[in-house]
Amino acid sequence: METSRALIPWTVLALLLACAAPAAAFEGEQALYEAARKEKELTWYTAHYNSESAAAVCNGFEKKYPGIKCNYIRTTAQVAYQRLAQDQKAGLAVASVFSSTDVSHYGRMKQDGWLQPYRPKNLSELIDAFKSFNDHQDMYVATAAGLVLLTYNTSLVEAKDAPKKWTDLLDPKWKGKVSIGHPGFSGYVGTWVVQMRKLYGWDYFKKLELNKPRIGRSINDTVTMLNAKESWVAAGPSATTLESKDKGNPLAVVYPEDGAVLMVSPTGILKNAPAPNAARLFEEYLLSRECNEIMVKMRQDSVHKAVKPLPGARSLAEVKTIRPSYDEVERGIPEVKELFRDTFGI
Amino acid sequence: MRWRHLDKSVFLWLLLVAALLVLVINPLARLVWSSFQDGATGAVTLDNYLAAYGRWRYLEALVNSLVLGLAVAAVCVVFGVPMAWAVSRTDMPGKGLVWAAILGTFIMPSYLGAVAWILLAGPNAGWLNRVYMGLTGAAAGPFNIYTMAGLVLVIACYSFPYMFVFTRSALDLISSEMEDAATTLGAGVLRTTLRVTLPLTLPAMMAAFIVAFLEAIALFGVPALIALPGRIQLMTTTLWQFFEFPPRVQVAAAYAMPLLSITALLFWLQQRLIARKGYVALTGKGGERRVVRLGAWRWVMLGYCLFITSLSFFLPMVVVLQAAFAKAWGRGFSLDNLTLANLRFVIVDQPITRAATVHTFVYGGVSAALALGLALAIAYIVHRRLVPFGRALSYVAMAPFVIPGIVLAIGFYAAYTSPPLALYGTAWILILAFTTRFLPIAYANSNAAIRAINPELEDAVRILGGGRLLALRRVVGPLLKRGLAGAFLLVFIPATRELSSAIFLYTTGTQVLSVLLFDKSDEGNFEYLSAIGLILVLGTVTLVLAGLRLVGRDFMLTRTTTT
Repeated sequence: METSRALIPWTVLALLLACAAPAAAFEGEQALYEAARKEKELTWYTAHYNSESAAAVCNGFEKKYPGIKCNYIRTTAQVAYQRLAQDQKAGLAVASVFSSTDVSHYGRMKQDGWLQPYRPKNLSELIDAFKSFNDHQDMYVATAAGLVLLTYNTSLVEAKDAPKKWTDLLDPKWKGKVSIGHPGFSGYVGTWVVQMRKLYGWDYFKKLELNKPRIGRSINDTVTMLNAKESWVAAGPSATTLESKDKGNPLAVVYPEDGAVLMVSPTGILKNAPAPNAARLFEEYLLSRECNEIMVKMRQDSVHKAVKPLPGARSLAEVKTIRPSYDEVERGIPEVKELFRDTFGI
Repeated sequence: MRWRHLDKSVFLWLLLVAALLVLVINPLARLVWSSFQDGATGAVTLDNYLAAYGRWRYLEALVNSLVLGLAVAAVCVVFGVPMAWAVSRTDMPGKGLVWAAILGTFIMPSYLGAVAWILLAGPNAGWLNRVYMGLTGAAAGPFNIYTMAGLVLVIACYSFPYMFVFTRSALDLISSEMEDAATTLGAGVLRTTLRVTLPLTLPAMMAAFIVAFLEAIALFGVPALIALPGRIQLMTTTLWQFFEFPPRVQVAAAYAMPLLSITALLFWLQQRLIARKGYVALTGKGGERRVVRLGAWRWVMLGYCLFITSLSFFLPMVVVLQAAFAKAWGRGFSLDNLTLANLRFVIVDQPITRAATVHTFVYGGVSAALALGLALAIAYIVHRRLVPFGRALSYVAMAPFVIPGIVLAIGFYAAYTSPPLALYGTAWILILAFTTRFLPIAYANSNAAIRAINPELEDAVRILGGGRLLALRRVVGPLLKRGLAGAFLLVFIPATRELSSAIFLYTTGTQVLSVLLFDKSDEGNFEYLSAIGLILVLGTVTLVLAGLRLVGRDFMLTRTTTT
């Protein structure tokens, strides 16, 4: 309900825009909207967020810019890339906007010439720390962020006993009670593993193996494991854990002293986009204030300077975050996948 | 042969054979071809095979998968055959309940069942373990789902319905005369059943064994949920590595190829085993089927059936219901934790669920009709030797099943995105993919059905001057009708829960429920996952029951009017 109420002013504004063209949210918005409306619809392949949040973003966009239909295909990052690769190989132009959580996809897409440059006018609204993650040639821009945190089940672990830093997961008291994802399935987990190796060396995982962690696929599997009480503590995602906690599940997050691992996920516009103007308008929208306000209600992290998270979560600007560079991720993930399989045997 | 004497129906056969080739050979050939192609340049190479088999880990996974497949198929025999016998031939009470539970089992997607089983038999906090600890005061429970045994159990739970249905339809055709012969010679009920009745169903059992085996080794969802945390390498989880960035679909294709030869081997074995004996059960000579009176043993039999269906259906359904109606499923059972919000959200607030529900059932229905029609025709052609190389056709019809759906999807994509069949973005790409993918089930079933019909029935028509088509219409058709509803369900139901090929082939406007469901499974959102799962199970059950009513069959697939 709150979401739709918050959208009313924007709907009104959109209607006004359609008639009278008052002050635009960014320079050239009206002209871009006119051009985009002629294209009627756009398709967005996304691995950012879960499907409810992707639906909410598309809804918000359609309300703000009536006359443009927003289709989303929400899958995991590898499936999204595989679909796109099939499209490109078959010469099909389906998606206009592509959002993956695996940053190595962008280097390859850029190299293969699948992307077209666009510098969003709303870039000034982006949290400053994220600007360094944008492409120098404007092929892609950071539009989503998330954290890998320490998470635990509050009915099994008291706050004072909960792990405070990443190395606490190595404590033998958690033997058989730790849950993690698999870097072969999840870009979030891959980035986390690369960062842990950078901080503590591969030894960290050899020691972790002594605690026989329960290994799932996606980082979100840790939420299921904690809720099922099968695991007590985990290296889990901020958004899904907090969303599940909001429903009343006995979960809590800890922002690790040695740093929450920051995931920055870019979005790019495809060179063969069937709706290039709608794609640009959509990219502007992803960076806009109203889109990020929708996001924080879904417990996703805001990338907008002025949008603060709901209680229980901390703003990315206030948290100590750590993250490997794109280069380290791109080179590191294939390496750690192999090491991971050797150490954990799966 | 002069034109005038040529049986004109031969053109129909040729047309059907052509349809089979387009549906199966076209995508498969593209797949085989891509396994020999260099990913970047397209040049012919063997490197994909070296990459796919160059590591011990990959080979080990293949061995594990074969062990898994055999174990699952064996457990399916233990689960399915006694139940089929009890329902078909005995006076066991509660047959309707047992059949409904098996139907429910078959409808439930196996990955939904796997999540439920994690909650039931997780080593740390599984409900069954907690009950055991509460009863015995032990410090730990005996159940651990994250083992090979756990994996076999869960997969077998969702594959044994094949064994049940195949065996049961065979048992329904065997007349009591043969059993009477054994009884006359002094054999008891048990001995008659084991030595006469069940051996007569061997072709059907073997067909189900092969289907269960193939499904187990090609499954991805359950291994991802159970084998991965259990640290068991399997073929499908290994296959996933080839889809990781940068995707190497050519290597994935190469890795899946040997499965084709394993399937061929299985069929050859099946032919060898049953070739020397006659299994024609349905002759023109009538015969009646009487129920076996079990006495007190009928309650034991019912207990066994309910035990198995508890494992496969009732217990997992309790978990699914709890989560679907819970505000927060992690809080367990309590009244203030109850809500309808999850169902409301997935039905009302997410219009996509409604659209996907309609798509799921329409695509499933059309695919099932296509697959069944084609399979019956091919089985008939093969058994009556209407075209040369008939045996080869049966291999072709069974081939799609053995290629994991995720790999098969590559072939479908290649086959249907370029002219003359540019179907991408339409419902037809999903319908044809489902038709091809489940053709083997339809074929295995049709094969057993046609095999059981003695050709002398048709010969009678032909001797009297009727053509082949007349014989089909007036004799074979009516005889098959009995099993047709069951055979349709056998394709319809897997098609409604098919995931692995759908995930690459759907677009906006052609979503199906299984994709929605799988999306939720890696979003950690078990409340919505269960709510959608519940819609899928209830929707399918309703449709199936309504459909059976329409064709005049009751729960038990027997005619409602007495014969």
